[in-house]
Amino acid sequence: MSDTPKRPNPPPGARSDRSRSPLAFVAAALFTLAVATFGLSLLGGSSPRFPSWRAIGAAAPARPIDVSVSGHLGDHLFDFTTKGISFLFIVMCGIIFWAATKHGPEHKAVYDHGSSGKALILTAVVTLSILFILDGTLLYGSFVDLGEAFYNFPKESDHPLIIEVQAQQWAWNFRYTGPDGKFNTPDDIVTLNEMHIPVGRPVFLRLTSKDVIHSFYLPNFRTKTDAFPGAQSRLWFQATQPGVFEIGCAQHCGANHFKMRGQITIDTPERYADWERAQVAQNQRRYDPNDVEAHWGWDWEY
Amino acid sequence: MSKKMPAAVVALRPRAKEDFSNYLGMVMMLGSWSILFGGIFFAYAGVRMSAPTWPPPGLPKLPLALPAANTVILGLSSWTAQRALGAIRKGRRDEMQALLGATVVLGALFLGLQYVLWTNVRASGLSIDSAGTYGSVFYALTIFHALHVAAGVCGVSYLVVGARFGKWNAAAHAPVRMWTMFWHFVDAVWLVTFVSVFVL
Amino acid sequence: MSEQHIHPEPTTFIRKYVFSTDHKVIAQQFIWMGLIFLLMGGTMAMMIRWQLANPGVPVPILGKLLLHSTGGIVSPYIYTSLFTGHGAIMIFFAITPIMIGGFGNYCIPLEIGARDMVFPTLNMLSFWTMVISCLVLVASLLVPGGTAAAGWTTYPTLSTNIGTPGLGQTLVVIALFLAGLSTVQGAVNYITTVIRLRAPGMGYFDMPLTVWGLWLTAILNALFVPVLGSGLILLSFDRLFGTHFFVTGALVKGGGDPLLFQHLFWIFGHPEVYILILPVWGVVSDLLSFFARKPAFGYKATALSMVVICILSAVVYGHHMYLTTMSPLLGESFMVLTMIISVPAMVLFVNWLRTIWQGSLRLEVPMLFSLGVVFVFGLGGLTGLYLADIPQDLYLHDTYFVVGHFHLTMAAAVFLGSFASIYYWFPKIWGRMFNNTLGKLHFWFSIVPITIVFCTMLLVGYSGMQRRLYNVESYDFLKRLLPLNQLISYTAFTLFTGQIFFVSNFMYSVFRGRKAPDNPWEVGTLEWQIPSPPPHHNFDIVPTVIHGPHEFNNPMVKGKDWLAQDEVIPPETAEAPHVETQLAGE
Repeated sequence: MSDTPKRPNPPPGARSDRSRSPLAFVAAALFTLAVATFGLSLLGGSSPRFPSWRAIGAAAPARPIDVSVSGHLGDHLFDFTTKGISFLFIVMCGIIFWAATKHGPEHKAVYDHGSSGKALILTAVVTLSILFILDGTLLYGSFVDLGEAFYNFPKESDHPLIIEVQAQQWAWNFRYTGPDGKFNTPDDIVTLNEMHIPVGRPVFLRLTSKDVIHSFYLPNFRTKTDAFPGAQSRLWFQATQPGVFEIGCAQHCGANHFKMRGQITIDTPERYADWERAQVAQNQRRYDPNDVEAHWGWDWEY
Repeated sequence: MSKKMPAAVVALRPRAKEDFSNYLGMVMMLGSWSILFGGIFFAYAGVRMSAPTWPPPGLPKLPLALPAANTVILGLSSWTAQRALGAIRKGRRDEMQALLGATVVLGALFLGLQYVLWTNVRASGLSIDSAGTYGSVFYALTIFHALHVAAGVCGVSYLVVGARFGKWNAAAHAPVRMWTMFWHFVDAVWLVTFVSVFVL
Repeated sequence: MSEQHIHPEPTTFIRKYVFSTDHKVIAQQFIWMGLIFLLMGGTMAMMIRWQLANPGVPVPILGKLLLHSTGGIVSPYIYTSLFTGHGAIMIFFAITPIMIGGFGNYCIPLEIGARDMVFPTLNMLSFWTMVISCLVLVASLLVPGGTAAAGWTTYPTLSTNIGTPGLGQTLVVIALFLAGLSTVQGAVNYITTVIRLRAPGMGYFDMPLTVWGLWLTAILNALFVPVLGSGLILLSFDRLFGTHFFVTGALVKGGGDPLLFQHLFWIFGHPEVYILILPVWGVVSDLLSFFARKPAFGYKATALSMVVICILSAVVYGHHMYLTTMSPLLGESFMVLTMIISVPAMVLFVNWLRTIWQGSLRLEVPMLFSLGVVFVFGLGGLTGLYLADIPQDLYLHDTYFVVGHFHLTMAAAVFLGSFASIYYWFPKIWGRMFNNTLGKLHFWFSIVPITIVFCTMLLVGYSGMQRRLYNVESYDFLKRLLPLNQLISYTAFTLFTGQIFFVSNFMYSVFRGRKAPDNPWEVGTLEWQIPSPPPHHNFDIVPTVIHGPHEFNNPMVKGKDWLAQDEVIPPETAEAPHVETQLAGE
């Protein structure tokens, strides 16, 4: 290969090749046809296989309804971040587009290594401005929100509803203390995949897992936390309105991870009390002091 | 960067540039390897700190005498290996061969005694799969380390055999240096293991 | 100065093309390997997307071939193997071989003026270690019980015998370890080569930024891949010998801590994402300059920013673990550091944009792909800000928002960057030119779908859809996202089939393309001053470097707009440099 004669370099801006590949153009033609078919199919009616444009438009992305006291804090930070980065993104696209169209081969390039003091200062000013304005505001807001809400777990004096959660492949087990306020006693309420909570009272969860790592996800409360085998994690939230919503698992936990769905029912305090009473009676009937596995609860510590 | 060396030295050490590159590469390789062992020590620290007592209740304490003897043996073998390197640097191939042979014997002795250690520990009730993290740490670290000693024994044996066929001399003995560095690394890892697992 | 010792040119087929110690051959071996696994990983992604778009419907063609037992439908278990395989293959068997094994091997010696790597035999060994790793990976597909299914992140206890018993998962853990071993072997080689074999006159700040990117990648590899190695070894012990490092739970007495693995994994895992992107950053920094015919703006700042990112990458890993109930102080520290690490990346961006601004842009195929990298990485990097923030991460963690973010930054940017590299060095490696029109079609059929696919994933994640979910219809609040998922899937199929432009172009041009000149791009780095493809010993005479790699439109140079790194400016043109005044409104 070292005896290839040196070819003169083509003049600047010249096309760099002339080769043709017949197979390639057949491929291109077929492909264009496929894309056209796909595009046209979207114009037609929706079938189970191909969505129509209307269906896509109807499924516009939207956050699930927020029924928590602190969810809006995260949402607010999200919206602020979106504004900030949209601005930066538009500026970036503008520069790329302008340079690509207006500073093309006919434009005379400027010989500038960018190593002057002026260049470095401008770079520093731009990056530090973004850091302090965008990141800084976000950090400040986050510290406030974490301190006041997300990391501000209820204390015993707040009388939270305390619930122990044991995740397993592939279901959620919930344990309430019942009237005696202790876990692992005959009046415990133990439910499978069903959580009931009252409006307006903080709920404090402690979670563990029986087997693999799961993640307790409440989309309508904008929160989740992992549940580990052999260790405890914690989560707190509070509902603002009644309703029935879903609990999901957000950490890959095996083949049926997608089926690990639970339901959270938010009741008015009165209806919750009714439910609790009925559940206590029902669980007391079912209680078996000799069933070791059923006593999966543990002593609560704030 | 490499300094300009006087002509006489360059003549004696025509491979000086490559030797330094080899040395640098080996240092980096051993650095990476140290981080590999470091990760395992990190895991050891993690499980030990979260355990209420160490050893956990009901489990026997690890013996000290046999590992201490092995520490001495391995230290001795490092000394013989380093002496061997010094010998070949002066061109004394036979001396190098003998010293490396001693290193191989000591290394093999180490492995034999490790096997005895494992048997003893197993007999005292600590097996690899039923003693929680305590047994796991002991066996994992010692087995993994022993694999490296075995690799070192193979490598140094290769050097001994090669010396028989006149392979290395004062000017060109890079593999001797590499394997000696590896051997010192294996010894250093053992020291850390001995102190952290058996002494502390 | 003693000449670099180099093996004599090989004569037999085996020594030339199979067990070669020539970095150029090894590079091509890695590139071919990477492209094959890119296809495999991409196919797995297409199967995942088919299941998400058409739940319970048999996969066309592939369903008949691969999924007999379920009648062509992707079952939930197979689905978990698919996303596990997709992640592991793309990261370790596609990107790493192409950019690091391939272009690392090819570019480093040539661009620093060396005849080969400093350890050619170790180089060959690193390729064949990788081959063994691939064989172990393929073996895992064939054993009963199937291959790994615990996610590429291999979290215990799902990845232990509790969650995924069977040989397949163990084999994949071993394959990953071997891949890491190959990487460390290569890393030691690259680091030492850059330190020891730079041509006379080439200081660290005269190296092309490509070499900076590849060198820093190698340093990160040497430092952090062993941490993954240690985690994998302990996991292997747990699986094979019954130890309890990560195994715990109701049935295990005195068990270990699964979180320990997460620490070890992410101490590796976060630097790993920088490992994957640094070569592309380096290449793009160079190509933007080359095709804008302008010096790389703020060269030193770019190089030093890359160094700062490497250092900081070690201390931000906790942002992958915000939801593991770590202490609030620790979480907040990671949050602050994660935001700070965006600063050097911003410096890189400013320099990129200022490189192309006021340039004389030649929109050749490599340049199109480089601009594409800037676009997708900018988009992806900005979306990282949402995730760095703990209150937002509480909602977005483990949703498709994360998937969209890391695909934009890691997959899309590296995908486009790999093709930028392939098209750019194509004439040099294979001595032939590729078809320009097909290259441009490839670009547009890549960037448009890739942007749509992953931006829509951001939207779907924002709407609450979890990751690694088999079926959107299993949750009421996600049912309505089926059309959006179908949009993602069909656009992804478009992306996948659009690669035909590359495959046909590549396969044809490698064998039948027009013979390439030595320097078709008119660039000054050392590899373009020798024949295409280079001879076995690279340089007839090791060049003496006088300039940096980005001397474009230097006013002291007359008659052409570029300057080779070892080219002396003819004395008769050496005059006081004119500073071209900028016309108002320019």
